[in-house]
Amino acid sequence: MIQLTQTGIDGLDDILNGGIVTNSTTLVSGNPGAGKSILCLQYIYNGVDEFGESGIYLTFEENASDLREAAESLGFDKWPEYVADGKIKVYDKQVLLRENDFSSSIDLLLDDLEDDQYDRLVLDSLAMFELFFDDEMEKRTYLLKFTDILRENGLTSLITNEQGSRFPDTDIGLANYLTDGNIYLIQTPTDSGVNRYVWVAKMRKQNIETDIFPMEIDWGGIQIHPSASAFSMMGEGDPPI
Amino acid sequence: MSSADILQTLGNKYSAEILDATDEPVSAQELSDELGIPIATCYRRIDELTEHDLLELHDNILSDDRRRIKVYRRNVDQVCVDFEEELSVNVEERSEVTNKLDEAWRTLSDG
Repeated sequence: MIQLTQTGIDGLDDILNGGIVTNSTTLVSGNPGAGKSILCLQYIYNGVDEFGESGIYLTFEENASDLREAAESLGFDKWPEYVADGKIKVYDKQVLLRENDFSSSIDLLLDDLEDDQYDRLVLDSLAMFELFFDDEMEKRTYLLKFTDILRENGLTSLITNEQGSRFPDTDIGLANYLTDGNIYLIQTPTDSGVNRYVWVAKMRKQNIETDIFPMEIDWGGIQIHPSASAFSMMGEGDPPI
Repeated sequence: MSSADILQTLGNKYSAEILDATDEPVSAQELSDELGIPIATCYRRIDELTEHDLLELHDNILSDDRRRIKVYRRNVDQVCVDFEEELSVNVEERSEVTNKLDEAWRTLSDG
């Protein structure tokens, strides 16, 4: 029986047929503004809030205070409390990039991982992580080793991946193959704003809905509508791209 | 430490072989056995290389017969020698991040 870790995100667990495979690593890809960080924030917050699972949030992109403000702006009011209690452990930009010394952060992180105290992890973003390695071979080797370390320590992880190209073009890098799951967040401009979609392209060991579903970002975070008609490239009017 | 000094150390018989073989932590005895280096020479080379920070003492591990043995690992990825202006030897150290991930990953497989 495959164990699943629920994201607690409305609709996402339905598409995933229950949740993300426990101890797996999933890449969350999308253009800037597509909602990658929000999805990750919500995943960690819900872990504590709904499932009693502690989480680690590693971000090279933001400070702890940015993260807290982002959480509060979405209605995740207890974020500061969970951080204070140690249920959410944040490694922010300032910590991770202190004196350019990622290696001492790695030490702290590895200690935390071995603690068995945490079940969920977010790494924002893959691109920054890869900067610490010299060539493609190293990037590949160490992403694999890192995901092994996460798996063996019982962490179910999300890694964000900046997507340069616009849907339906997708940058497919090695990381897409090396990770257990691939979730794409898509935004297409409309007259009045943007339409947002989510596409779970891959989830090893799990039978998933591979259609593209509409989603919204609002107070309370991300909401996905699995029952709404799936995204179609043949829709009426102008194509979204 | 002068550049010529490093070159001298690297140039000593077996030094390059030892660095080549210490990608993963290895004991003096293993190096001696695998590379066919007399054990006394092996210890001498290890001392020289360690003194110049080309090799480092990685750990004291417990052997099967419960003795502590020292294992060494190379500290460099690359050495560049530049003659263009003034002789300079640039030692490219192994990245610490990769070291640490290697180590953590290795202990996984042990467990």
